[in-house]
Amino acid sequence: MPGHKAARLLVGLSAAIAALGMAVTAEAQEKKIKIGVIYDLTGPLAGGGSELQHIGAKIMLDQYAKTGVEGYKVEAVYADAQSKPDVAINEAVRLIEQEKVNMLLGFFSSAQCVPVAARVEQLKNFMWITTCISSAVLSDKNFKYVFRPQASGDQFGLMTTDFIAQNAKEKLGKEPKDLRVAIIHEDGAYGVDVSKGNEAGAKKAGFNIVLKEGYAATAPDLSSLVTKLKRARPDVIFHTGYNPDITLFGRQAREQGLKFAALVGHGAGYGVYEKLKEGLGGDVNYVFNADPISIWASNEKGLNPKLPPVIKMVGDEFDKVKPGVAIRSAHVGMAASNTYVFLTEVLPRAIKKHGGVDPDALRKAALEVDIPEGGTMLGFGVKFFGEGNQMAGQNERSFPVVIQYVDDKSYVVWPKSQAQREAVLPLPKGTTFSNQ
Amino acid sequence: MQGFLDIFDIYLLEAVVNGILLGGVLALLALGLNLIFGVIDVTWICYAELVMIGMYGMYYMVQVFGLPYWVAAPFAILLVAALGAALHYIVIAPLLTAPPINQLLATGGVLFILQSFATVAFGIDFRNLGIRLPVLAIGEMHFSYSRLLAFAAALIGMLAIYFFMKRTYTGTAIRAVAQDRQIMSLMGVDTKRIYIITSALGGALAGLAACLLVLQYDVHPFVGLSFGPITFLICVLGGLGNFVGGFIAAFVFAQIISLGGLFSDLEWGYVLAFAFFIVMMFIRPAGLFARRS
Repeated sequence: MPGHKAARLLVGLSAAIAALGMAVTAEAQEKKIKIGVIYDLTGPLAGGGSELQHIGAKIMLDQYAKTGVEGYKVEAVYADAQSKPDVAINEAVRLIEQEKVNMLLGFFSSAQCVPVAARVEQLKNFMWITTCISSAVLSDKNFKYVFRPQASGDQFGLMTTDFIAQNAKEKLGKEPKDLRVAIIHEDGAYGVDVSKGNEAGAKKAGFNIVLKEGYAATAPDLSSLVTKLKRARPDVIFHTGYNPDITLFGRQAREQGLKFAALVGHGAGYGVYEKLKEGLGGDVNYVFNADPISIWASNEKGLNPKLPPVIKMVGDEFDKVKPGVAIRSAHVGMAASNTYVFLTEVLPRAIKKHGGVDPDALRKAALEVDIPEGGTMLGFGVKFFGEGNQMAGQNERSFPVVIQYVDDKSYVVWPKSQAQREAVLPLPKGTTFSNQ
Repeated sequence: MQGFLDIFDIYLLEAVVNGILLGGVLALLALGLNLIFGVIDVTWICYAELVMIGMYGMYYMVQVFGLPYWVAAPFAILLVAALGAALHYIVIAPLLTAPPINQLLATGGVLFILQSFATVAFGIDFRNLGIRLPVLAIGEMHFSYSRLLAFAAALIGMLAIYFFMKRTYTGTAIRAVAQDRQIMSLMGVDTKRIYIITSALGGALAGLAACLLVLQYDVHPFVGLSFGPITFLICVLGGLGNFVGGFIAAFVFAQIISLGGLFSDLEWGYVLAFAFFIVMMFIRPAGLFARRS
């Protein structure tokens, strides 16, 4: 009897060891990259465009979760930054330390990006920024593990001032030096950075800057700012904001009778047409906005032939999530494209050439990315500034475009190489804000 | 000298009037909060979130169910009044004798519950009523009718509350309870009923504010963050519980914000207003118009 018992014990033990061995083998066989994805799904930034970015990134990650990359399973772990920098930092650390993600991807707000990038670098993890644009995230930081394929904030500011400068004489009938411009912005890292670009561009063009001012995005009243603008009488207003501060400004500007020739926005809230239309009604007509080009507005002929089907897929998937949207926001394509670049250019190279998905392999792979113009859905190429450069980790080939909303459609109007139509400038007579 | 005189232009006058109109908005918000504190001695930290729920109520009734604005407004006021009464019955009543910090934390908890509830129930999108009221133009100056309406409502609301308190039996009972709740219950006054009525009244004022704010601002779950702290500061500046003090403090605060923002950066207007608040707290810790104890 005791012998029988010992035999049963032996069999049980053997089975347990075998099971354990199989589990270990399975673990070893299941190669995967775990990606922590952080956007704002609640709080004011969510409706301001962050949720749309989340949708864009998720569409792409879901596609690659089905197929995997070079034998690696792609697993995304999503977190909500709640529109708060402290929550973004905590979630980033939690994903790295507890969820053991291999890298982080996403980030809408520059106010979050600046501290999170520093923390991620400190933890020697890899960070792929799809959205936030402030130069302060990377400028003079010399980060090794933080990369941003997205254009930087000062590029946004420079692009719009260049657009106005090149059109001042022909469209507005004024020499740039006679053009009165105002630069207003939310006072976070994003707004300040874009406004610096605006200021530098305005000085370069020789504009007469009649007002430059920041405000808190949560300010309950902007009437004093509007009164000052009325007093300063700018021809062109360069505005950088989230939402709902943009709609508050637009509404109070209408109510107080502010007049100008052009309103030029810079991404974020200006990139969500549906909300602008809902808040400002017809006053959104002829508003300009600088953003990376919407992937649905890209010139297909100039793109790598493999990209149009991907763009269509993103559009189809987005329509399933948000049916009946008049203009698909550029935010969706921005995150989808930048995530796609990571999944098709960085990740395969890291696995094949650098032996895995650890931060150093991903970093080496990112630095080797060399995509010419037209190689991404956003039209620009990708090549990152390397170590030692003032903007290490920034894509040196990215650029935004200037679009204009006209009758519920958006058109690229600048640069000329990408333009889909002539800009309507100045605001036509009879429109709410027209100073003609 | 000429440069100094240049600032006395039409835009200065516009800023002053806009400051008065902003004061109307803030006074309207402070009215209900002060009433609650004056009678029940509890500060509803979640007051601005009640306003947010009222704004959502207006949005759904007008935009989704197609009710005219003037029909929807009384329903929204009733909705928030009921919410105010429920808040007292469920959260405040069990804590009436608890230390003030417990009451603050409890209403602070309600703040997060209401924000989260709105996020789940209504989503994160900004909602807009889609009503664009005309603008009153006097020369180069332009004023929003929605703000004029809020200003008028604040004025009428304060007068109505004043006469209600002074001229009605219930108002007298409310004032009596505010002075000494223990004695009044010994004299046979049903303090529980008075508290419920006061809470409903405070809620109704939040509802009224919601009906007017929804004409000026987008609705989203976190809209209360733009108004909550500033409303609380105004109440403290005017003397917590003193609704006349709160009314005047709202205009003082709004003028500092408006004129400060005109003469300097907009943010400096807020800095000056908060600096004024801090200085006044040193000089008159119980507020500009503190109640006599």
